[in-house]
Amino acid sequence: MALAGAAFAFAANELSPRGLALGRNYFPGGARQSVSPPKLTQTPPAGAPTTNADPAAAEIEQRLKDKGLQPIDRLGAERLFRDPRFEQGLVVFVDARDADHYREGHIPGAYELDPYHPEKELSNVLAACQFAAQVVVYCTGGDCEDADSTAILLRDAGIPNQNLLVFGGGFTEWTDRHLPVEPSERNSARAPGQSK
Amino acid sequence: MNGNAPAPSAVPFWPDKAMDLSAVAARWYLGGFFVYTGLEKVADPVAFLKLVRQYDLVHTAFLLNAIAAALPWFEVFCGVILLAGIAVRGAALTLVSILIPFTGVVWHRALVLQAAKGLSFCAVKFDCGCGTGEVYICEKLLENFGLILLGVWLLAGRGRQWSARYCVLTRAALSQSSQPVVPGAD
Repeated sequence: MALAGAAFAFAANELSPRGLALGRNYFPGGARQSVSPPKLTQTPPAGAPTTNADPAAAEIEQRLKDKGLQPIDRLGAERLFRDPRFEQGLVVFVDARDADHYREGHIPGAYELDPYHPEKELSNVLAACQFAAQVVVYCTGGDCEDADSTAILLRDAGIPNQNLLVFGGGFTEWTDRHLPVEPSERNSARAPGQSK
Repeated sequence: MNGNAPAPSAVPFWPDKAMDLSAVAARWYLGGFFVYTGLEKVADPVAFLKLVRQYDLVHTAFLLNAIAAALPWFEVFCGVILLAGIAVRGAALTLVSILIPFTGVVWHRALVLQAAKGLSFCAVKFDCGCGTGEVYICEKLLENFGLILLGVWLLAGRGRQWSARYCVLTRAALSQSSQPVVPGAD
């Protein structure tokens, strides 16, 4: 019974379009997810500088540094979002959440790159990142490590590590601050004729 | 019919019948439960992979992927087998064998979360990767205990009525017993 079940299970996984690739490392970077409960970065009051007095933010920063990644806080991400280089494609935002969450809303102009299903979008995102001076990768925020995985994926694909920044507070912190959000496809909120 | 009272063994004894019917209901419930929870995980294997990873049970990508890839389909397989009633005791034994260690692992994880959050044990709520979303740990443990009891009950041989195998065997036995004896066939 157990053998028949196992044979069926692996065959079904192989045949399923959503099946997992057994040989692939879905969590590059080595560090395992924290056993602590999910914590989201607490948003400081409006105007206050982001500091790492918040233990959750400090934990995220440490996690990123352990993986050799550079963290960026919300103020830094917001500054890059408003940077003129963003319009020129020299600053690129990459959303590491899955397609459903991306379509519900993302940072305007952000590229979609789900690290678990990168095949479809990787070449497109890589092309954009190769020209960029700064690439900001984010996911939901807090204990979500999908941004880490995506940043490592980009690093392994040849994007210089010094150009990669991981926004640890993620989309949750972004929306908590009522910053701009774009629904549906990338640049769908832009007026016709606007480029980038 | 010769007017004699039927033998006591031929009289359907209603508590026994009720017990059999309850066992069939238990089989269908257990089978349906595992088909449902298995399909919930199959629908989003990456989410299940992340949940399995939280338990920190294995440290190689292949083993982690193999568990996350196979377990949901394995549950679906056992659930369908139970619903159809093909190998009831085998499926029940398999499910009990996986439920017991899983319950221990979920319990352990809840203790870790309890220590981290400083909550009372029953106030710990998390997605254990069981296919039922976020649940309070005490409810989950009770549910698993109930599922294990149902599985053990089926293991005792109950609940085989209205099962594919039972029907096939009964029909085969009936057709054999009603075969006309052909004189000189030997």
